[in-house]
Amino acid sequence: MQNNNPENIIEALNVNRYFGAGNLALGNFTVSVPRGGVYGFLGRNGAGKTTAIKIIAGLLRPDFGTVRVLGKDPFTFTPADRQRVGYMSEKQILPVNYRVGALVKFCAAFYPRWHHELVAQLLGKFNISCQRKIGQLSQGTQRQVAFILALAQRPELLILDEPAATLDVVARREFLDEILRLLRDADGGTTVFISSHILSDIERIADHIGIIAGGQLIVSEPLDDLAESVKKIRFHSFNNGAANFAYPGAYRTISGRDEVLVTARVRDPLTVAQCAQRHGASYEIQDLNLEDIFYEISTR
Amino acid sequence: MFLHLNPQSGEPVYRQMVRQLKQRIATGQLADGQQLPSVRDLSAELHVNPLTVAKAYQFLERDGLVEFRRGQGTFVAADRDRFSKAQQQKLIAPAVAQVVSEALHLGLSVGQLQQLIRQYYAKQQS
Repeated sequence: MQNNNPENIIEALNVNRYFGAGNLALGNFTVSVPRGGVYGFLGRNGAGKTTAIKIIAGLLRPDFGTVRVLGKDPFTFTPADRQRVGYMSEKQILPVNYRVGALVKFCAAFYPRWHHELVAQLLGKFNISCQRKIGQLSQGTQRQVAFILALAQRPELLILDEPAATLDVVARREFLDEILRLLRDADGGTTVFISSHILSDIERIADHIGIIAGGQLIVSEPLDDLAESVKKIRFHSFNNGAANFAYPGAYRTISGRDEVLVTARVRDPLTVAQCAQRHGASYEIQDLNLEDIFYEISTR
Repeated sequence: MFLHLNPQSGEPVYRQMVRQLKQRIATGQLADGQQLPSVRDLSAELHVNPLTVAKAYQFLERDGLVEFRRGQGTFVAADRDRFSKAQQQKLIAPAVAQVVSEALHLGLSVGQLQQLIRQYYAKQQS
């Protein structure tokens, strides 16, 4: 198998996974995540996101296909391999009867690179007392504890499944800053694989974007490339009416009375100019942000 | 260093950085030979991915506006290549197109627009 490019920290090839007979969660799911940086993994509910993440984290076995994380099958990870990967699941369940301090101590014992000062600093910053029992903390605060535990491992690969959904705005910003700090401290050595519905968060920190739909990865590329190439174009002032207008390869076309709105990949603005010229029309090109792009691509 | 970055504007963040840094270099807010913050520091200050800052610096370096000095950091290039006439016109064209279409929309004549541009030019130079 040739998917062992050391540049990629995660490689999945043609992964299929069924739940029950004929209920396909992932169908030929293929992804390559480059080492270093933040990979934002997006998809609608039910698109197969969490299944893919669990397979990458080594918690589910694919029915078919191969997965390599840090160059190895995550299902064969040794304890030493596990120490290199941090994972925070969508529904993290921490032991409710533990006090925060005791839980930290318990986890620290497993990780040789455990960052004690960071834990103390973040508990202080988020105002979480070591004496409190986990069960007494709010959902959001429990989330913050789980996040601190994942960060303290200083992992090479940090997998975060919908980590910020229950956090307030301030806590989310602090959370994003800590991810960026992890990247800076590792100086290019750390990769964060994060799924979220909060696309403004992803847009703030990610450099790579993957979009999953219907159990398949339909987009995987640098965020900048996506933002620079997916555009909305308004064609207007048609010489001979807009009736026969079509833009090749458009994600979406909406026809108005004397105008047409198209969402498409624009690799070269010249293509748009030529299309306008063929139809005797004028045009303007608009930028789209990540939320717009996600909507246009995942609903077409 | 404060830059105004809006990750949700649809314009890639590194481009927003390049645009604003170019403007500061052009207006002398960043002096020739001045050291820029390290990628690490600027990423922390602006709350953006260090790869984004590195990319912005690379684009500025490619355009000859900054230079990397080994082991020292990134500096505003002292002997910057001035742009050729053609390059200058290409770079300014989108902004001009925007202004002209706004002027048409508002019903300003070419003369009125020229008058305004002269005023602003004089103000910036003084």
